Amino acid sequence: MKKFLAMLLAIVAVLGLSACTKDDGLTMWCIATKSDSNRHSYEEAIKEMEKKYPDTKLNWEAIENETYKQKIKAAVAGDNMPDIFFTWSCAFLGDFVKEDKVYCLDDAYKGFADKLPEKMCKNTTYNGKKYGVPLTMNIVGLFANMDILKEVGYDKVPGSYTELIECCDKLVAAGKIPFGCAGKETWCVTEYLESIIEKSIGAKALDDIFCNGATWDNPDVAKAVTIFQDMIDKKYFDPDGVSLGNDAVKQNFIDGKYAFYMNGTWNCADFSQKGPKNCQVAEFPVIDDSKAKLGQLIGGPSDTLAVAKSAKDAENTAKYTFELGQLICKYGYLDGCGLPAWTVDYDASSVNELTRSVADIVAKSDYMVLFGDTAMPSDEAGKYLEQVALVYTKQVDGAGFIAALKAAIR
Amino acid sequence: MKSKKYDGVTIFLFLLPALLLFVGILVAPMASSAINSFYQYKGFGQKTWLGWDNYKRLFNKDFPAYIPFKDSVVHALLLAGFSVFIQLPLALGLALLLGRGIKGERFFLSVNFLPVLISTVVIGQLWLKIFDPRGLLNSLLRLVGYLKEGDDNIQWLAEGQGKLLYSCFIPMLWQYVGYHMLLMYAGVKSVPTELREAAKIDGATDWQVDRFVVIPSMKQIVKVSVIFAITGSLKSYDLIRIIAMNLSTKDASVPSTILMDYMTLRGEYGVASAVAVLLILLCFFFAILISTIFKERD
Amino acid sequence: MAKNKNDLQQYQVRKTKGWVNVLISIFLAIWAIINLYPLYWMFTFALKDNKQILDTNKFGLPEGAPNKWFWSNFKEAMNTGPIGRFFLNSIIITFATIVITTLAAMMASYAITRIRWRASEMMNRIFMLGITIPIQASIIPVYLVVSKLKLINTPIALIVPYSAFSLAMALLICNGFMIQIPKELDEAAYIDGCGRGKVFFSVILPLMKPAVATTAIYTFLQCWNELMFASTFLTGEDYMTLPAGMAQLFGSHTTEWGPIGAALVIATMPTIVFYILFSRRIQDSFIAGAVKG
Repeated sequence: MKKFLAMLLAIVAVLGLSACTKDDGLTMWCIATKSDSNRHSYEEAIKEMEKKYPDTKLNWEAIENETYKQKIKAAVAGDNMPDIFFTWSCAFLGDFVKEDKVYCLDDAYKGFADKLPEKMCKNTTYNGKKYGVPLTMNIVGLFANMDILKEVGYDKVPGSYTELIECCDKLVAAGKIPFGCAGKETWCVTEYLESIIEKSIGAKALDDIFCNGATWDNPDVAKAVTIFQDMIDKKYFDPDGVSLGNDAVKQNFIDGKYAFYMNGTWNCADFSQKGPKNCQVAEFPVIDDSKAKLGQLIGGPSDTLAVAKSAKDAENTAKYTFELGQLICKYGYLDGCGLPAWTVDYDASSVNELTRSVADIVAKSDYMVLFGDTAMPSDEAGKYLEQVALVYTKQVDGAGFIAALKAAIR
Repeated sequence: MKSKKYDGVTIFLFLLPALLLFVGILVAPMASSAINSFYQYKGFGQKTWLGWDNYKRLFNKDFPAYIPFKDSVVHALLLAGFSVFIQLPLALGLALLLGRGIKGERFFLSVNFLPVLISTVVIGQLWLKIFDPRGLLNSLLRLVGYLKEGDDNIQWLAEGQGKLLYSCFIPMLWQYVGYHMLLMYAGVKSVPTELREAAKIDGATDWQVDRFVVIPSMKQIVKVSVIFAITGSLKSYDLIRIIAMNLSTKDASVPSTILMDYMTLRGEYGVASAVAVLLILLCFFFAILISTIFKERD
Repeated sequence: MAKNKNDLQQYQVRKTKGWVNVLISIFLAIWAIINLYPLYWMFTFALKDNKQILDTNKFGLPEGAPNKWFWSNFKEAMNTGPIGRFFLNSIIITFATIVITTLAAMMASYAITRIRWRASEMMNRIFMLGITIPIQASIIPVYLVVSKLKLINTPIALIVPYSAFSLAMALLICNGFMIQIPKELDEAAYIDGCGRGKVFFSVILPLMKPAVATTAIYTFLQCWNELMFASTFLTGEDYMTLPAGMAQLFGSHTTEWGPIGAALVIATMPTIVFYILFSRRIQDSFIAGAVKG
């Protein structure tokens, strides 16, 4: 009986413990977990904000990517949103805007218009109203291990498609593996496939398919898929890739097993620290120059902070979020986690060389198509990724790919 | 002794905590899932009435955006089959061997139960390394000469090659052998020692003792194990998630991966709810089926 | 007595053959190694970097002398936050779940097995259906229930669902034990003038110790490693459990596996130590529960 009472006491203690929840300051949720490359930039930015506004306490929490998506949706459903929350641009934030859960940032933006170009807000503008503060942005880059390229006689990344194919043939002949791609994580396959499609059909056409309701029933897309599968057939891709996750593939590239690796430019910091020793980044070459041209990229501003409609003192919170976003962007760029969506008005000479060359590529670009799975609503993205995975394992060909997506999406 | 009315109140009071938990956390949410399964719903915001469309997507091949739900059920039942016909016999064998009073009985018992206690993340990562293209399994195959010098690695984990499902099953079956072993060991030990000895005096071998004395007395425990193995197989998720890596996996899909895929990644909560409803019905069906089978055998 | 035993041995005419025993021993030894290996592997995994884990050294000891091993992984795992706090939260939440589950199951089991009423068997079956409900299926509806009760971000938000999901199994175990207690005990107590409540608390509960142990272990296994509910229902480090805290080690594009290995060692150790210390008791109570269940 005594033990039983002790247990009851313990329960009461737990209940008591839960009764004293804090309710001061702002709350923020993001995905910059402890091991995330963006973590440091959040920490620095928040430190600076706390110094500037000692009265505003920011209670922030980072949640692992996949869990976060679940958590923020549940919070929206249960009206338990934090004041400030991380979101992806386009469809993901759009869903919340549609439900009228997000605070409109048009008024607050006026104070920051000179530092944040209008075009960087394009992905988070719905019905002409701004709802998001962009942070860093990333594009897909063709990373190249120059030491391996040198062995087959190249001292720069092949600039044209024919040259790239030649280079790959030489690599294969020399017993090297040109590309590594993680088949177990479909987003990694899209990094390749989307670039190939874009450089075949042109940025505008791809953007229309992703965002503006154009049909997937486009023979040029099928042709691009065939090109990708031909590359797989010609052993340009590590055959083990179908069984690997991105961590393993990326490690292989760092260890010098692949000549090229196509992935997001958030890798720049890692590659400049861990290797490969001679690494360069370039744009994927143009495949069909009647439709596509250089300067058309995959990527753009996606990482975003937004303010909940339910936020305390929403207008001031919105201003606070802009300032915070600007700082996160700045420190993120300095850390080499991505490119700045905000104007650079500080000394950025310490940024690693790879990130700076990405900045050059972006500066010369004139069209960016956001990653397909971010641009599309999540149900469509699911169907799209399903087909992309089948492309990589060659369970569907180009014609099958467009037919399936036409049936499932448009 | 006590008045009936009074008993009614007592019964209610005694059941109350369990009922509150059961209704509040299991029944009510399930009922809401059942309702949601008829809507197009993102998990928040607007719901749109769909009627049976979500279910049609799961069953009708010609329906737009068909989901191969039947495959996932087949996979889960296959796992249940392996579980009942390979895992449980293995567990039974171990339990019988240990139950004979072998030296180090307790040690083996403890060690064999260990995998149950280790986080599935560890188990999953370890088996990923075993099935890795340059992992333990392929290295062994090269060592014994099954794979020759120039041969490509066998892709145990790739989609579309028919091996992924089994690469997911093996760790799952292995991890819980110890659990069932412990259950069955309990059954073995519950046979009175005198009975064993009497049988031996009559000239029975160890095997005959097991076959004719021990096993027949274990019906109840085997039933529990079978129920656990089958409902566990139908609900399986964690290890598949880690080893298949991709929730949208086709080769290794089970109802739970489809459920989580549509709920978390695709934000199609209505479909996920429909899967949840079907999954629960399936589990009910099998639980009842097994009980009936064991009852008929009496 | 001694004579008897000798007789007994004389009659054991058909002993299992020696070589069969050797084979059995070899088989058991190999099986034991297979089951021990993951534990060993977990420790080595915790002391490597991504290069070794993913590429060069997937199975062996970490490369180099022990002072070259990546002990820093542990430091990094410890730095994910107030790990002591996470630990304490996990213990409190698990403990409270165990208490609630056990108590609710005992009470229900008492009403079902020891009081005669018409629908008791039916009631029991309905509860048993709970075993079949997959925890993943209910996260959003449960979230809505919990948030309507304004319990989000309180430990109760976890304790209540965990208890509910462990209930059916706990009831199964309790029923098994409860049936074994002779009915005469209750009768005697009633004659002494005790009410049902008194009988339950002072006669039945003290006899149910092994059942408590069994349900406790089962419930512990259910909730100690649970992640999805933990990270959805709790925000902030105040109440975060160990698995939710450790999940912070997964990055969004790249993951450093070494610190995760270290974190897993930290999270698994209490279970293992507890198991080593009490393995016999745990097994015994498990056995007792299972046989009767």
